[in-house]
Amino acid sequence: MKIAIRHELAVPVPQGATRVQMHLLAHPVAFAGQHIRHWAVEGPDIATAAAFPDAYGNDARLVTLRRPESPVSLLLEGLVETSDKHGVVGRIGREPVPALFRRITPLTRSPVTVYGKFRSTPRDGRDRIGLLHQVMERINEFHVFAPDGVVPSIEGTTESVRPAPTQTQTQTLGTMTQSQSLGEPADRRTPATARDFAHAFIGACRALDIPARYVSGYLLGGDAPGHAWAEAWDDGLGWIGFDAALLLCPTERHVRLAIGLDAMSAALVRTSPTIGEVETTSLSVAEA
Amino acid sequence: MTQPTPFDEMHNADGSIREPYRELDRWLREQPPQALNLMATDAEGIFRRLGITFAVYGSNEGTEKLIPFDVIPRIISAAEWRRLARGIEQRVRALNAFLHDIYHRQEILKAGRVPEKLILQNAAFCPEMMGIDPARAVYAHIIGVDIVRTGPDDFYVLEDNLRTPSGVSYMLEDREAMLQLAPDLFQRHKVAPVETYTENLMRTLESVAPEGAGASPTIVVLTPGIYNSAYFEHSFLADQMGAQLCEGQDLFVEDGFVYMRTTSGPERVDVIYRRIDDDYIDPLTFKPDSMLGVPGLFDAYRAGTVTLVNAPGTGIADDKAVYTYVPEIIEFYLGEKPLLSNVPTYNCTNDDERAYVLANIGDLVVKEVHGSGGYGMLVGPTSTRAQREEFRNRIIARPDNYIVQPTLALSTCPTYVNRGIAPRHVDLRPYVLVGDQIRITPGGLTRVALKKGSLVVNSSQGGGTKDTWVLEE
Repeated sequence: MKIAIRHELAVPVPQGATRVQMHLLAHPVAFAGQHIRHWAVEGPDIATAAAFPDAYGNDARLVTLRRPESPVSLLLEGLVETSDKHGVVGRIGREPVPALFRRITPLTRSPVTVYGKFRSTPRDGRDRIGLLHQVMERINEFHVFAPDGVVPSIEGTTESVRPAPTQTQTQTLGTMTQSQSLGEPADRRTPATARDFAHAFIGACRALDIPARYVSGYLLGGDAPGHAWAEAWDDGLGWIGFDAALLLCPTERHVRLAIGLDAMSAALVRTSPTIGEVETTSLSVAEA
Repeated sequence: MTQPTPFDEMHNADGSIREPYRELDRWLREQPPQALNLMATDAEGIFRRLGITFAVYGSNEGTEKLIPFDVIPRIISAAEWRRLARGIEQRVRALNAFLHDIYHRQEILKAGRVPEKLILQNAAFCPEMMGIDPARAVYAHIIGVDIVRTGPDDFYVLEDNLRTPSGVSYMLEDREAMLQLAPDLFQRHKVAPVETYTENLMRTLESVAPEGAGASPTIVVLTPGIYNSAYFEHSFLADQMGAQLCEGQDLFVEDGFVYMRTTSGPERVDVIYRRIDDDYIDPLTFKPDSMLGVPGLFDAYRAGTVTLVNAPGTGIADDKAVYTYVPEIIEFYLGEKPLLSNVPTYNCTNDDERAYVLANIGDLVVKEVHGSGGYGMLVGPTSTRAQREEFRNRIIARPDNYIVQPTLALSTCPTYVNRGIAPRHVDLRPYVLVGDQIRITPGGLTRVALKKGSLVVNSSQGGGTKDTWVLEE
């Protein structure tokens, strides 16, 4: 499938700054299920940026913005050809050892209530894929997918459920667990974004000693500005994608952009100094 | 528990003088009664002129203090030093190999020789370092190994100090002072020079410049600024090397290259001897609110345009919990038996060992896994009941946060104190440079606990220093 992507972003920068450093993970890496036919990133000072692989194997750029006007506009535009590999990404060159992705970060702490029931589940050889699917289902017992933090309510109207920014995934899950143990019905699942689902899945995998990593990317037909999922390691197949938000393994509609330990290390844009959030001003993901 | 008699580096048990100290003993006997007192007074004047001071954290009485200097040198024989130096070289080779492995294929973890969790979940492990190939595969270029002695042939490594070890300026100034105070004493001994340190430091830094840096790379010393306890040393070393002393704001990154602001415009920087902790070197990659670092510096390092000395993430190899595995590490990478011993260490996460520790805390030394400078530690034999109780509770609450070691009977050296010459406990920090070759300055910094019976030698806790002589044959 050929997918055309056009993604415009607005990056706030301090007024009057002489230099702002911008770290970009905006160049997708090819693998068997994804060929990059064309890819370009446009923005001020990008032509002279430094290019280098980051610790996770991403194609990173360091852009030095000289006396930038805020916000800085970025445009990612490309054509990617994908094929359905049932989520199997395999092994990609220059990536770090899978074991690295057992490291638990503040964003990927999982409560024992999520992974605890799998502690003695067989996880080697053929059993691993089955377990990973169970973990994905388990996350869905706690959360309901809300792209961009917005879920349709039962009455059919749309209700914003953006959680307070300080509320962490762990707390959300912790609260949920309490209500579950009180025998509340399953429709009390808390809304979660694709990013939250990915973190919950990764956290549970790592707690079970299975390497898992964060993937940022795009979804054809998705509503949110950008999508995210996870990949877990299997000794035989290599990395396998798990999209816990959609409860499936990534298909040809998924376009993989960057990977990391969590959303922070896989962030598309990071700047120093930082002021405010990077915003998507327009995004189009279309079949070409 | 009664402590064994500490090893006296000058006297044998029968009162006779040990070989390396024979000439010093003769010299001391020839001195008129007030000579040492005069030397001590002169020494203070010399250090005030040299401007050697250090800042004490948590002290209100002015920020600067003069570090006490003892006028009687410590003497190590050529044979003793050869053994020590071989052991140190072995250790730093193994630890650099370990760092390369941990940040690449992690073979030692796959082999199960070091527990994976201990590394991967460790705060000192720096995932951002994965896959970087630093020049000459050296991560820890500047190392200060803390060594203690308990007998004629018994040396133990206490800590490896692979981050940004300080104190080398005291080693150099102690020698300078001693040369002024007792030139005749040097004429009667063949003392190996330490003055070559800064030249060797420069050579080491030049040898790890990135490719394309040219024949004379630009080297700078990056300091957190004047409020840092080792600021004196940062400026001293920069001055000695003829390198620029910079703060974060003096450097900037453009398109992946690092530049220094100068009066004649920006100048490319190739090697940065940074004395800023990992977390603070680059707000783009590490602590976003750091004002000390240089935004984009780590990306420039990843892009291979600049060398950071020491590399970020070296702390994983001198982590106190990883320390217990150094003998394993040496055998794994070098296939050799360790030449220098570790201090036996109790692991408080092990039930039996923790029970022993809690029952015998009064005889033991407790250290915080991430502590340094003698802060956050308990020396059992000299502690109060309340302190012991507090540490017992702390260990129970967080057993993984502490390592515990027996109280070693640190060797003593003759030291000039108020009432004459008396033995005081000492340790030794030799300084090692790793670049195109491994260069170990003969001797190092001897720290001496000036209080009678005290085993804490840290300058922040009332310790002093001594000039350290390695005799040449």
